[in-house]
Amino acid sequence: MEEFIQYLEQKIAAGKAEIAALEAEGRKDDANFAKVRTNIYDVCKTVSQALLRRPDAGVGAIRAQFDRFQTIWGAALDKAKEHHDVAGIAVEETKLAALQDVAEHFREATGA
Amino acid sequence: MTQQDALKIFKCLSDLSRLRIVQSLSRGDMYTELLAERLELTPSTVSFHMKKLEDAGLVCSRKEQYYTVYALNRTVLEQTVFDLAASAPEQVDEQQKREEEYRQKVIRSFFDYGRLRSIPVQRKKRLICYEEIAARLELGRVYEEKELNAIISAVHEDYCTIRRDMIGEGILRRDGGRYVRLK
Repeated sequence: MEEFIQYLEQKIAAGKAEIAALEAEGRKDDANFAKVRTNIYDVCKTVSQALLRRPDAGVGAIRAQFDRFQTIWGAALDKAKEHHDVAGIAVEETKLAALQDVAEHFREATGA
Repeated sequence: MTQQDALKIFKCLSDLSRLRIVQSLSRGDMYTELLAERLELTPSTVSFHMKKLEDAGLVCSRKEQYYTVYALNRTVLEQTVFDLAASAPEQVDEQQKREEEYRQKVIRSFFDYGRLRSIPVQRKKRLICYEEIAARLELGRVYEEKELNAIISAVHEDYCTIRRDMIGEGILRRDGGRYVRLK
């Protein structure tokens, strides 16, 4: 699990660097998408650490929380598509892509 | 073209990704996936930028089988900065403009794809939301209670409170079990 948390920390650090680079390049909207992506890694890190501290939770609870995120954001994406909300679609797809990456690394690190 | 339109163009182009898109399209019409590949962006991010370019009138799109193909609006792009700077100021009442901006802000905060998230506590905001709901009704047409309830409940589950408040605010008039939108 330590390795997984380290991975998330690396992604957050890389995300922050990317945001700064994009802003410096004059790509404010792309920087905003990078902020959304980085925030997902941050949220997943916070949730994982909090659940690991709880004696009644653990790896299974983290997996379940990631699945809940997937359901909620998947529904938000469907809603955005239904209403042809181009900005909403881009945000939800960015969130889901980051979550998928997190879930894959979680699976590799824990087998869950 | 008004000064507001010109401002929209300048704001839209003050982004390197969108400038790159314009540069790519200057070589020929292109679809989202190809632009995404060339610019190393996700297709949804490219669609986001294309929407901004389209709203500013800089590009136009057409459907070709499964793809949306984008092309530059050369009439707008071939204008010089002098032409854009010389565009006429928009004739709008500043007070009216501020009110409309506030109204849109309230609607964005309280509505989620046409559904009212919650009934605002503040009267001014509540009125804006009720007017937004009233826009779903035809002015002067008589609605049966059942029909009106169905329209309001598509926006918020507490249709009774909303219907009663709309009458109280003079947005609706009740004659027996029938309702008419007054404003």
